[in-house]
Amino acid sequence: MAGAFGFKGCQKIRGAQIRGLLEAKDFFLFDCDGVIWHGENAITGAATVVNSLIRRGKNVVFVTNNCTRPRENYVHKFSRLGFTDVMLEQIFSSSYCSALYLRDVVKVHGQVFVVGCEGLRRELLEAGVPCVEEADDDPDATIYNCALAPDVKAVLVGHDDKLTFLKLAKASCYLRDPECLFLATDNDPWHPLSGGRILPGSGSLTAALEVASARKATVIGKPSRFMFECISSQFRGVDPSQCLMVGDRLETDMLFGSNCGLDTMLTLTGVSQLEEAHEYRNSDLTTNHSFVPDYVVDTIADFLPAFEELEELND
Amino acid sequence: MSGTKCTRLSGSLVKQLLDSVDSVLFDCDGVIWRGDQVIPGAPQVINLLKEHGKKVFFVTNNSSKTRRMYAEKMSTLGFSVTEEEVFGTAYCCAMYLKTTCRLEGKVYLIGSSAMRQELEAVGIQQTGVGPDHVLGKQSDWAGVPLDPEVRAVVVGFDEHFSYMKLNRALQYLLQKDCLFVGTNRDNRLPLEGGKAVPGTGCLLQAVETAAQRRAQTVGKPNHFMFDCVASQFGVQRERCLMVGDRLDTDILLGSNCGLKTLLTLTGVSTVADAEANWESGCTERQGMVPDYYVESIADLLPALQA
Repeated sequence: MAGAFGFKGCQKIRGAQIRGLLEAKDFFLFDCDGVIWHGENAITGAATVVNSLIRRGKNVVFVTNNCTRPRENYVHKFSRLGFTDVMLEQIFSSSYCSALYLRDVVKVHGQVFVVGCEGLRRELLEAGVPCVEEADDDPDATIYNCALAPDVKAVLVGHDDKLTFLKLAKASCYLRDPECLFLATDNDPWHPLSGGRILPGSGSLTAALEVASARKATVIGKPSRFMFECISSQFRGVDPSQCLMVGDRLETDMLFGSNCGLDTMLTLTGVSQLEEAHEYRNSDLTTNHSFVPDYVVDTIADFLPAFEELEELND
Repeated sequence: MSGTKCTRLSGSLVKQLLDSVDSVLFDCDGVIWRGDQVIPGAPQVINLLKEHGKKVFFVTNNSSKTRRMYAEKMSTLGFSVTEEEVFGTAYCCAMYLKTTCRLEGKVYLIGSSAMRQELEAVGIQQTGVGPDHVLGKQSDWAGVPLDPEVRAVVVGFDEHFSYMKLNRALQYLLQKDCLFVGTNRDNRLPLEGGKAVPGTGCLLQAVETAAQRRAQTVGKPNHFMFDCVASQFGVQRERCLMVGDRLDTDILLGSNCGLKTLLTLTGVSTVADAEANWESGCTERQGMVPDYYVESIADLLPALQA
């Protein structure tokens, strides 16, 4: 379909063009924040779009770098916001995929030191990956006298609102062992909240630890390919040419799609602006072209007329 | 650069080098002490240099002490030093904000109480020092109340670093006219016994990544600290020697400022590191090659005692 507009068209599409896409693709990957909801508010029309896709027999999965909640919480949130048919198996968060990576790819033997929140730890524990106990460090504990756990085989960094200097210090001690893996759930420098506000992201904590350890983290979440490999493995093989990745962040979602050979669609209800996509497209640096979406919509609600047309055609 | 580089300093070369300079700048950690342990012979070197009429200064990226605290530590360890001879990044950062930035307004500070004291000494108020943990929900944090008088975010070494501090710094830095200054980029703070903790460079990188902005740093290898010394004491570059243990901060500062440079091997960098930089053929890395090296600054003693 990318051929329809030439390489990385970055074209706004509607109506018949969207209908064409809906017919051609059978696997839809959606980012969540800024695409289907903002915080606790569903984007108008998003629930209808998702429910319609599922009812038409399309595969729909949700691919999010948000590592703060376990997937069960997402199931409840989907239900709460009117996305009625979404099941646990359709949800791929960076925390869930980090657990899979540790359990199935690395086959970690030993403990994992987690710089992250409860939601991340729970995904690991549910997958059977042992984590170092979050000791209630007494207020006088310092790097001189704090206990370091034996047998730590990986350090995993994610969003951690309880980050302290001591945690950073412990993590860098563990990372002195070159055999100890260094993983990050994602490298988003900041996370958007509703109302245009932002908070520091996992990427900022990972960057601190990279400087401390002079090592580079292996990133599990978008734009790395691993989450697509998780999806593909769970669905017993997914053909990239059948997929459409829909997201709101050029440096995460569009690059992820590009890295995995998927067609990409930018929706303008979230982080990235159309002007930024154009800047990347006009850039002399060819690597910047991977940030450019194939298609653009103002909101995924723009799919709705296409569904209506398809229904009319089928009558 | 033609001429010899990275020569072992010994024999008559020592006196030759010392005669060619009037001022000597010393880094502290890994050069004159390691943690609280003095490098054997170091106090005698400093004191003899002064007796020989050399000006001696201390230039350290460590922001956890005021110049007075450093002078007190040095006196305890046998160095004859006055606080005016010490240039730490806590002091230099305050000077930078006052004299170069001409800052009017407050600072949001991620740093030590030493940094707070040096700021207050030049009349700059700060907010933020001390422990600061998250309270409430995510939506509260992004809307955290900002002090309207804050005009700069300053990052130094802070053992109370937390997500909340990172968050506050980010919120201030979203204001385009807010200055952004860091003390230094050292990735590790050396401790005695060879242990190390994450340095200011890590904390600074966290803030820079979240805010997608780069800080102006004051410490080595930036020339600001040398400019401070030179402007206060009339130091001539060509007759000045920089002594340090880190190629990427001390020696690079020396190269950047046109000073003679001496690497001591009692700290971080090795001769092999220096040789690798020289052989790299890369101009940036070649600035990180010393003119001379010694095993320890005690190697200067024979020439000073003669």
